[in-house]
Amino acid sequence: MSLVAAAPQGRSFRPLFEHWARRVRARLALRHVLTGAAVGLLLGAGASAALWRTRQGPLRPAGAAGGLLGAAVGLVVARRRRWPDGDVALYLDARLAADEAIVTAVGLDGEAHESDGSVRAVVISRATRALVGATSGRVRAPLHRPWHAAIPVAAAVIGWLSLAPLPPAPAGPAAPPGAAPVRLAQVQGLEKVVALAEMSARDDAQRRRLEKLAEEARRLQEKLRQGVERREAQADLARLRDGITAEKLTLGDGEQRQGMESALGKLGENLDLKQAQRALGDRDLVSLDDEMDRLADRLEKGDRRRAQATLEEAAEAARREGAPGVARALAEQKERLARQGTKNDELRALARELGDALGEDGREALRDLDRGGGKASQRLADKLESALGKLTPEQRRRLAENLKKRMASAPDERGPSPSKRQRKGMLDQLDTPEGQRQLAEELKQMAEAPPERSEEGDRQRGLGDAEEGAGEAEGQLGGGVPLPLPLDGAGADKGGPRAGGGQGQAGAGNTDPSGPGGPADHRGTTGAIEGGDVRARASGRLDRGRPMPGVVAGRSAGKAGDTANVQGSGALGSAAPTEIGGVARSDVPEEYRAQVGRYFQPK
Amino acid sequence: MTQAPAGESFEARLALARETSVRLKEAIGSVIVGQDEVVEQTLWGLLAGGHVLLEGAPGLGKTLLVRTLSSCLALQFSRIQFTPDLMPSDVTGTNILVGGADGARHFALHKGPIFGQVILADEINRATPKTQSALLEAMQEHACTIAGTRHAMEEPFFVLATENPIEMEGTYPLPEAQLDRFLLKVVVPSPSEDEMTEILARTTGRERGDAPRVLGRDELLALRALCRDVAVAEPVLRYASRLVRASDPALAGAPPLVKRGLRFGAGVRGAQSLVLAAKAVALLDGRAHVAFADLVRVSKPVLRHRLLRSFEGEADGITTDQVVEALVAAIPTRPEAVQQALAR
Repeated sequence: MSLVAAAPQGRSFRPLFEHWARRVRARLALRHVLTGAAVGLLLGAGASAALWRTRQGPLRPAGAAGGLLGAAVGLVVARRRRWPDGDVALYLDARLAADEAIVTAVGLDGEAHESDGSVRAVVISRATRALVGATSGRVRAPLHRPWHAAIPVAAAVIGWLSLAPLPPAPAGPAAPPGAAPVRLAQVQGLEKVVALAEMSARDDAQRRRLEKLAEEARRLQEKLRQGVERREAQADLARLRDGITAEKLTLGDGEQRQGMESALGKLGENLDLKQAQRALGDRDLVSLDDEMDRLADRLEKGDRRRAQATLEEAAEAARREGAPGVARALAEQKERLARQGTKNDELRALARELGDALGEDGREALRDLDRGGGKASQRLADKLESALGKLTPEQRRRLAENLKKRMASAPDERGPSPSKRQRKGMLDQLDTPEGQRQLAEELKQMAEAPPERSEEGDRQRGLGDAEEGAGEAEGQLGGGVPLPLPLDGAGADKGGPRAGGGQGQAGAGNTDPSGPGGPADHRGTTGAIEGGDVRARASGRLDRGRPMPGVVAGRSAGKAGDTANVQGSGALGSAAPTEIGGVARSDVPEEYRAQVGRYFQPK
Repeated sequence: MTQAPAGESFEARLALARETSVRLKEAIGSVIVGQDEVVEQTLWGLLAGGHVLLEGAPGLGKTLLVRTLSSCLALQFSRIQFTPDLMPSDVTGTNILVGGADGARHFALHKGPIFGQVILADEINRATPKTQSALLEAMQEHACTIAGTRHAMEEPFFVLATENPIEMEGTYPLPEAQLDRFLLKVVVPSPSEDEMTEILARTTGRERGDAPRVLGRDELLALRALCRDVAVAEPVLRYASRLVRASDPALAGAPPLVKRGLRFGAGVRGAQSLVLAAKAVALLDGRAHVAFADLVRVSKPVLRHRLLRSFEGEADGITTDQVVEALVAAIPTRPEAVQQALAR
């Protein structure tokens, strides 16, 4: 039976119902779409914010696509949740106060009714009347939900994020300390290291070592010209310095150590050679030269002979114990002592013969020479030369006579030196103007000549220059290399305020417990430094053998119980490249680094 | 009385039914003062073809209402006054030995008061259960078996029982099976002051005549048939089912008050009664279909006597009317999506 029953105003129930059902369903679907769009836009806004945050500028507007996607999903959900006719009819019944006439009419549409069809007609008629009286306002399905307000908000956020300037790029990871490149066209200090290649060597092994040091210096020069990380350059320089310092200590080291010990023992037997013993023990050949010069000035002939004998014995002992280098150095010192002593004796004799003609300055120079003052012989030669120039011919003749008598009466020395023979001939000619001029010239040369040095002393001096050059190069590099800083007052400054967090951290006597970097004093304790855990650890090596006596500047193998700022007393230890500049690379707070670096810096 | 012509349209019959019901109410109202709701609910039972249990204190007009209704209907009225010594045969009747004209004697059926059309079972709870059960077959099957012979009741057969809730001593509560036979349990309230005044004015003066006859037997049967034809939509039937099912305390989705206050809920007969009564409401309202509101309206009189309270419910004073209210409040009429859409 058709549902198109008689209805008010000729309207049929089914088209009317379909009409309103479409509207209801459309609004319900639109509500789902809006909900989906709201959710999608919210997610899109979140995505846009993430893209903005990660500086993905062009992708930011893509967040709006979330709204479209959400709307599509909403549409799908709306189709899946589409109300059946019964539900729509119930909704319309409630809205139109039709007492369930519409839903009854819809139900009667689908099933045959056993009773008179007029029942259906009555119901449908009533339902149709209700639908005819419907208006859009009365049957309007709810469309907006509170969360739909998120649509304009999220859209505005996406728009704003799309137009807003991108945030500044996040700072990359901080470059490790010392990683900054450094480029130097010329490093003067390294030239002194390069010059080691030209220096005379004790033996072939030392020659190779010196050439290697020079080669490393040249390589470092090249690196610096090309540009290199500061820490790498610093590590190379530190290695160079360590190599040079180690080279300075090679005399009597290693296998020759026993010979060195024997020689030092021998030297110790002569009280006049105590200083020389200490200088040799310290491998300070320059000081040894100076000490020998002083001994040559100061010692009487007999003492000098004993000293020479001791040196001879010491050289022999060193040679015997397998330290030829030490033996050579001691033999050379013995020769120098003899030569210098003879020369000084002659100068003294000439000075005494001159008597009052020497003048006050000359006599003072003579006294200095007797006391063993440094460069006294040169000064005396100078005075003698000027005094000779003031003598009359008669005085010169008498002087020559006297000198000849003295020379004749003087006992022959073993192994007369060539200068003595030379001087004897010169005295023969002293009464002649030519001889006088020759003597004056020789005295002048003696006064102006540089002091005679031993071969080992020269080598040491060259190595010292190279070490100094490496230090200069290190200074030229700059950066955070922990350089030894002078301590203000070395403990005399009690409690002085800290000058600042950097160079001015003169820790001497700082007792301010609240100062940055932690209070410190010179009683061997350091106040607590703010920090969660240990920031650096001194990893000194355990005692690897009793070091040689003496004082060495530089990194040294530590002993158990020592700290890094205790003066080293043995051979230099070797530092691994990763240990160089370790404080600068560590996570020690910057304001404490200088202090910590100084702590680990050898004195 | 207006006679509906044969072949008349349903709409016309609806209108006639509405007009008849109005006239019936007016006729009853000419005798009964107030009690509109009681009269209305009694008419639901009459149209739906069910029996009605009237509960109320003595003197509220229950018996008068039944008598007035029977006079309006022009049906055979019979009254049974239930007492503790009333025997079942007193209700159903019995075979007695009678002598014939030829002198031969034979057993002849002496029909009891149950063989009427409008039966007033007055103070039904004062009879013993045995006597009460004599009504069971007649109420359910509209027939009565006496000495092995089944005797059909003359239609329409309509039982109106009354019970007094306050005389507990010497009363026998109706068994659940019999209560279930009643379509409705109508609670007769006390009259208001105005109604009481009117009652006094009417009953203390000269006696008035009976109510006019409004409805004949055939018209009543036609109305009952018309009531059965009222359409019910599937969602409305489903709501009735949910409502009745929710009265089962063993059900997981039952409201808390049901779980606490009931031992047993209504059954299928309760759901049937609900829909039938709702149809009667719709018919009296001039509608050819049942609305949710009709079900809600009939829920208390239909369900209140079908719910068996638990001990806890009785101890807490929970009434079955409260339970029905809770059911109506808890069970949504429409699907959830529709409810949500309507809520905004």
